[in-house]
Amino acid sequence: MTIQRSVFEAFRVASTELGMCSAAWLFTREVAAAGGDALVRELQETLGLEYAALHAVTERWLGGTTKPAISTGEVVRACAGAANVAVVGVEADWLDALVPLLGDAKVTLLTSPLVPVDWERLAANFGGRVATLDMSAVQQLAGARSVLLTFCYGTRGDQTWVDPLWMRVSGGDVRTQFRSIVGWEVLGTAMQVYPRWLTETSADDFAELVS
Amino acid sequence: MPPHHSRAAPGALARILDRSRIDALLAPWLPDAADRAFVVRCVLDEGPAHHRGANYVLLALLGQLLEKSAAGAAPAEEPRVPVPLHLPPHLREQVKHGTFPLGFPARVLDRLAPRGSAEQAAMVDCVTDGPPQHALANAAMLCVLDALLSAQVPK
Repeated sequence: MTIQRSVFEAFRVASTELGMCSAAWLFTREVAAAGGDALVRELQETLGLEYAALHAVTERWLGGTTKPAISTGEVVRACAGAANVAVVGVEADWLDALVPLLGDAKVTLLTSPLVPVDWERLAANFGGRVATLDMSAVQQLAGARSVLLTFCYGTRGDQTWVDPLWMRVSGGDVRTQFRSIVGWEVLGTAMQVYPRWLTETSADDFAELVS
Repeated sequence: MPPHHSRAAPGALARILDRSRIDALLAPWLPDAADRAFVVRCVLDEGPAHHRGANYVLLALLGQLLEKSAAGAAPAEEPRVPVPLHLPPHLREQVKHGTFPLGFPARVLDRLAPRGSAEQAAMVDCVTDGPPQHALANAAMLCVLDALLSAQVPK
């Protein structure tokens, strides 16, 4: 058995709609079910070279970890008391775990025409609990009880990697309009190949970097 | 050629900025830890290095004065002057929580100009305008100065 080319195209779509890490775990799980570790290794040595998060997830799988450790304790604490939680980027598995724990906070997914995804359909997966807003209007969500949150990948020392959209909203003006700037490390391991679809930034950009 | 005067190197700045010290200083005015973290970040972690360093030096020294006095924060019912978030004009009315959690007691400026006067309004504009690292450091210093003055020079 070998991985069909269509899987590569499907991963590109899935990583956009589910997030790099969530899609990586989904595809690794399904590929393993179809062809075991040998096929996972093939996935790693083909598509994994293009998607660093997928490479890292397959590495963890081959090391014996068969599901992500999604811990919400620190991020819920970082968002405690917030009236608004504005989210940049998507990680479906992590948002599925977090959103029900945010109480009365309004959760808004910041959208961008730069990302070819049906944002409304994506938000609909959360049963009306997640609103959408074009990220150019992010300041509408500003306030002393507002949190700006994104997902971080492979944090290593003072380096981390984020969805490039983060760079569109993390300017010096916006930083002081939100009570907290939160990065949520979702990959949980360093990336071994160049993360070409992510952007490097400093961990110091975040008031809190939680995992 | 070396620069004609020294600059605050990032490493040196990182060593002098004791966030816990400013966090503790602000606790009487900002009992909520998340609110304090927001203000401390704006004062010590945002904006140009020389401003952040200056904010730390001035607040830390004012904190030493406060420790040596019997002064305390103004009563909660004392009117406070809010510090607005630095938002674009069209959003100022729209954003619900549009002020920083730290304001300063209005009474401290009563020492310089009558409440409600154009002069005091101008003072308020001066200390609350500008980038957050300025406006919030001003508010924090006015909180401490109010406490010190109220203990030593009752109005």
